[in-house]
Amino acid sequence: MEILKVKNLNFKYPLADSQAISNINFSVNSGEFITVCGATGSGKSTLLRLLKREIAPVGEVSGEIFFDSVSVSKLTAEKSASGIGFVMQNPEHQIVTDTVWHELAFGLENLNLPQNVMAGRIAETASYFGIEEWYDKKVSELSGGQKQLLCLAAVMVMNPEIIILDEPTAQLDPIAASEFIGTLKKINRELSLTVILSEHRLEDAITVCDKLLVLENGSVKAFDAPQKIVGELDERLLRGMPAAVRLFHAVDGRGKCPLDIRDGRHFIETNFGNRITALPKTEYACSEKPAMCFKDVYFRYDRNYPDVLRGLSFTVYENEIFCILGGNGSGKTTALSVASNIVKPYSGTVEIFEKKLKEYKNQSLYRNCLTVLPQDVQTVFMRNTVREELEGAESEAEMLPLDLEKLMDKHPYDLSGGEQQLVALAKVLAAKPKLLLLDEPTKGIDADSKYQLTDILRRLKSDGMTIVIVTHDTEFACDCADRCAMFFRGEIVSADTPREFFSGNNFYTTAISRMTRGVYRDAVSIADAVELCRLNKAVE
Amino acid sequence: MRTFADSNPIVVSVYFVAVTSIAMFSANPVISAISLIGAIVLFLMTNEKKEVSTHLFSLLLFAVMAVVNPLVSHNGATVLFVINNNPITLEAFIYGVCTSATVVAVLYWFRSFTIVMTSDKLLYLFGAFSPKLALILSMALRYVSLFSVQLKKVQASQKALGLYKDDNIIDSFKGGMRVFSIMITWALENGIITADSMTARGYGTGKRSRFSLFHFKIDDVILLCMIPIFSAVALYGIVGAKFEFYPYFSVPEISMKLAAAYISYGVMILLPVIINIKEELKWKYLKSKI
Repeated sequence: MEILKVKNLNFKYPLADSQAISNINFSVNSGEFITVCGATGSGKSTLLRLLKREIAPVGEVSGEIFFDSVSVSKLTAEKSASGIGFVMQNPEHQIVTDTVWHELAFGLENLNLPQNVMAGRIAETASYFGIEEWYDKKVSELSGGQKQLLCLAAVMVMNPEIIILDEPTAQLDPIAASEFIGTLKKINRELSLTVILSEHRLEDAITVCDKLLVLENGSVKAFDAPQKIVGELDERLLRGMPAAVRLFHAVDGRGKCPLDIRDGRHFIETNFGNRITALPKTEYACSEKPAMCFKDVYFRYDRNYPDVLRGLSFTVYENEIFCILGGNGSGKTTALSVASNIVKPYSGTVEIFEKKLKEYKNQSLYRNCLTVLPQDVQTVFMRNTVREELEGAESEAEMLPLDLEKLMDKHPYDLSGGEQQLVALAKVLAAKPKLLLLDEPTKGIDADSKYQLTDILRRLKSDGMTIVIVTHDTEFACDCADRCAMFFRGEIVSADTPREFFSGNNFYTTAISRMTRGVYRDAVSIADAVELCRLNKAVE
Repeated sequence: MRTFADSNPIVVSVYFVAVTSIAMFSANPVISAISLIGAIVLFLMTNEKKEVSTHLFSLLLFAVMAVVNPLVSHNGATVLFVINNNPITLEAFIYGVCTSATVVAVLYWFRSFTIVMTSDKLLYLFGAFSPKLALILSMALRYVSLFSVQLKKVQASQKALGLYKDDNIIDSFKGGMRVFSIMITWALENGIITADSMTARGYGTGKRSRFSLFHFKIDDVILLCMIPIFSAVALYGIVGAKFEFYPYFSVPEISMKLAAAYISYGVMILLPVIINIKEELKWKYLKSKI
């Protein structure tokens, strides 16, 4: 049964030169899982918002959207509010009330339902989504993943027939993101709920969805089962695809394109074989001079709290890119705060360029020495336009692979996640640091921006900068790091070059490493796998 | 186990209002004494921190108020001693002790009240008067925590960008102002998302209902009926019997009416203790059967 139908949809923002959405036609059957993908600015959010009447953007619209064979504009207020659920990107600001139970009740209260009906619905929703344990908690005590799950549950409690999600995992770490997609799969398969999801991290979504809707410049480029689409994609769209798909394209694969790890391994095994299992060894030699050195650092936020850093000791040498990986709450971000002298450890010493932190008097640490790009890049912005923001950072801004002219007069908050990240980076670089600390730089940015960021970091390194990155993103770390380190319970437990590091890990590693485990010994990146496949092909 | 603190918040509030207002307006030392004892017992029961330091302030306040009154007021016929030609009288001293007992008792009642009435319960209470107000308060509570977290984050990242300087107060002040202004922009910008999320879930489509975690159980109803009865008996007895402090301290003759008032106020004060002990015993009994 057709639940949603979009007919000749066009949309133009006021004062815009071109159409944001042009001539879109598609229909969704009840119970289908649709993933919408496309580069930033391709009109994903605009399209999804147009489907939900209450939050549709203002502008010139033509064409029609039918929900349950009724034009969306003619739905009753209750049907429109409860029938179409919508979850946005940032869980922090979608949550309206201060407690979990009240948030779940919010939508039902709006529908003016009686107490006993609400109590029943809230109870079943909370237990289905496993919220029972934190039902009484304050929202501020929840983790990011829990907050987004709460947003989903708060919409699901209203009993929607279709649920639309606009990049719901962008602000989550990869583990929470996969869990979230898993929950979406569960509600789609178990409740036969129609799901429309937009994503730029397709690793998990693509294996779950029935159809992929590819948008390009506001129009539909393809709308079909992922298997039929992934075989023919251009380079830009390919960057957001799962590792198996990228590998398939990189080796000019023929036949059925693999989507997930399992199929990817099968593809390698059947097509290439493994007579050669390892790449020629390359030695990594780093500088002898330490740039940042932690010696037995202990830190806790309050006398009565447990230690966050427990005897943390490590050294980052000059002119290397050092990635710190680890789970949530392992103390990675705290380590950066200690390094940048925002918080002070109660024991141990930190040396930056062989000088103790204490000896950097009167903010001299932040002048031509060390700078931090925080996780929430919005906290870097203080001005009303990008132009003012980048004052004094002109030379840094030139290096950005962005069409800055277009962005200069916008408010920094109006930029996309990736643009914000790059502009913020240019701004912090204006202090001409020798040591750059980045906290989760790939959070909330699309594959394209991630690629650009890797490129910029490599260039900065070649100019002599030392870079320390805290991240969850194994692929990113593998692509740009000289050395990677595993952070666990306030300590660094292992550190090595990406190849050694990731091929030694079983779980916390890149998709390619998991795919080639047992076939090849040390393939961790797409390039490695391509090289090994090529070598094996040549042998045959 | 359903202790006194778990009773319906409306009942709990009515109880606190009745108990404190009788103690405050009766000007009756016996009532004050009962109130003080009850208040301390309840506070000891509800407060999880058992340190002596939590009582120091009250003790100090009690002592100061009891001593200050005879130093300031020189009414009363029985002169104990003279300081700088100012007579210190026994009556003024007794009066001081009585008022400070009342004040300290009320203070303890309020301390227990703030422990028992969590924000959820307060919201329920406000919601009983106006559901809109309850929603606004809940949103405000959410926003305050969000705002303060963001403010800390902005301050940390701006510090690393060299916005604040150690040695220059004017510079720090300017930096602070700029942070404040960007925080307002941030709040407005992200407020739009919250507003979208509200309308997307049908806010503003019509009348709202209210979901609450609390219900009236039979125990609540009984308690709610008992409070006015005990209060009425207490007030009826107290009104006629007046304590005289000046010039001589005189105690009203004890009548049936007054005795009933003391007993009934005493029972009312002990209600939470009785409820908690009853529940404790019931639990012990039930546990023995598991």
